[in-house]
Amino acid sequence: MVDLEVRTDLGVGATAPEDDGSVVRAREFTSEVIAVEPAMGDSLLLTATAPESMVRQLRAGRFFNILCRVDGSYDPLLRRPYSVFRADPAASTLTFLVRPYGRGSAWLAERSIGATLDLFGPLGNTYDIAPRARHLLLVAGGVGAAPLVMLADEAVRRGLSVTFAMGAATAPGLLEPSLLPSEVEYVVATEDGGKGHHGYVTDLLPDYARWADQIFACGPEPMYRSLRSAIEPHRVGGKPPVQISVEREMACGVGACLGCVVETRRGMRASCVDGPVFDLDEVIW
Amino acid sequence: MTDGRGPNGSVEGAAEAPAVDLSVDLAPTNPRELRMANPIIAASGCFGYGQEYAGVIDVQRLGAFVSKGVTPEPRRGNPMPRIAESPAGMLNAIGLQNPGIRGFVKKYPRLWATWRVPALVNISAESVEDYAMMAAVLDEQPGIAGIEVNVSCPNVARGGYCFGWDAEMSAEVTRAVRAATTLPVIVKLSPGAVDVVGVALAVEEAGADAVSLINTLVGMAIDVKRRRPVLANVTGGVSGPAIKPIALRMVYQVAAAVRVPVIGMGGIMGLEDALEFFLAGASAVQVGTAIFAQPGMVIRLIDELEAWMVKEGVGALAEIVGGAQPANGRSEVGAGAPDLVLGAVAAG
Repeated sequence: MVDLEVRTDLGVGATAPEDDGSVVRAREFTSEVIAVEPAMGDSLLLTATAPESMVRQLRAGRFFNILCRVDGSYDPLLRRPYSVFRADPAASTLTFLVRPYGRGSAWLAERSIGATLDLFGPLGNTYDIAPRARHLLLVAGGVGAAPLVMLADEAVRRGLSVTFAMGAATAPGLLEPSLLPSEVEYVVATEDGGKGHHGYVTDLLPDYARWADQIFACGPEPMYRSLRSAIEPHRVGGKPPVQISVEREMACGVGACLGCVVETRRGMRASCVDGPVFDLDEVIW
Repeated sequence: MTDGRGPNGSVEGAAEAPAVDLSVDLAPTNPRELRMANPIIAASGCFGYGQEYAGVIDVQRLGAFVSKGVTPEPRRGNPMPRIAESPAGMLNAIGLQNPGIRGFVKKYPRLWATWRVPALVNISAESVEDYAMMAAVLDEQPGIAGIEVNVSCPNVARGGYCFGWDAEMSAEVTRAVRAATTLPVIVKLSPGAVDVVGVALAVEEAGADAVSLINTLVGMAIDVKRRRPVLANVTGGVSGPAIKPIALRMVYQVAAAVRVPVIGMGGIMGLEDALEFFLAGASAVQVGTAIFAQPGMVIRLIDELEAWMVKEGVGALAEIVGGAQPANGRSEVGAGAPDLVLGAVAAG
């Protein structure tokens, strides 16, 4: 089931959002950075506080738009979307995977412990594990690993069997195995052959396509195209189904600006509210 | 009593019985009026159809909001990428993705009729007849407080030349819309006009109840790695704080020339920006791009404006509207004559 409360709430007589315990509505809140650790070579894991009830109800795939500028500055103007890498209800924290490659992410990567962040979320829909699925194949490309780590946590808690396939350009760009639950089977590919399979992560998929009840992926768009060609010969009647998380330039995060649309078989869809998770077969590339 | 601030930082009593008068009527000569509790409006294209933000902020507290642009027929919009960030601003080329006027009226007027906040509908078309047709359709709908006419569209009958760049073409659209509806009509002026004051005067003469400005400025960005324009549409509208000085200058010029209310917009990020627009002559302001980054700001702005008025002893907003205009003896340029003001501003 996909929760789209931002989109479906008609807001008749709406007031400021309240946490009623059943739905987590998007809100702006101030958060404090409590940990910063290096990860995946040039990236880092940034852990920040969030309301406990929000963290507890969060599911993999949802994201937060983070303001990447100090008070009084208007540059960079727009928030940056970050999927949740890990949610810890006991600590009341969210962890984000930050790779500094643009003005916003570079600013975020410079925050240290104690820094204040302005978060807006949770936004978007979620990955959806089917009730009868037992074997899950997770396919990560680079920083696309973020929401899949949270999904792996969820799946392991539910006692499901998970294979986590990850690809990166070089070995340091791979997710450290210690960051995944120990129950997960972890297979890797590097483009330079530094570790695991020499090639792309999608080369590994045919071996798993029949085993998996569901496939979940997050990575750059070219990865989805090769993922499709890699598994297509092994799929029967659209099975196993594949859920992907798309990345788009984004402004509002609530379906208002229509800057982040994805063309699907059901028309133009806003990746911020109708996504970021879409069925691979729905998306028109 | 401490400093007059409540536990959540809001000014005590801000939501109830204001000590100062923030209300404004943007269509004072129209029997249907356009009364708003405060002068803060969420701008078209930045607020969807209102419901997108209904779970995020208290939409009902706004002075009004303007819908995303509606067109005669459904539009898929432009290919991706549609947006790009620019220094202290952004570019957009959404391409008016919308369900068309018929799809629109099936869904939103009934919803808005249950809302307290006035809803304004922004309309775009490529012919005078289509503008009039949409105005006539909206005239019969519940839940609509007024129409904002986007004249920054190509006029197909005139080889795609933008309506809003030409005073006579803008006036023609305004006359047609005016004839088709008794609803308050706001004409949203294009900053691409060579003579924005001339366009404003022409649409006022043609029956506009108010004018709003500025629409986005046309700009572009190039991806150096790909050596191609960033936006699939090549060009897009620039908005955000980067355009504020230009917007303010145009509002100042137009407010000096017209008698109808002026609604100012362009890069408003907070109270100080809004006050600048009021002092330039705007009776109300629209907040757009800022909502994308900080949705709560548009509501805080109402409280902050009220607190500022209390502190400054301003009993009613009208007392400061146009306060920086030379006619009020607070400016050194122009000595009160609008044409001289324009000359001085242009030369300065």
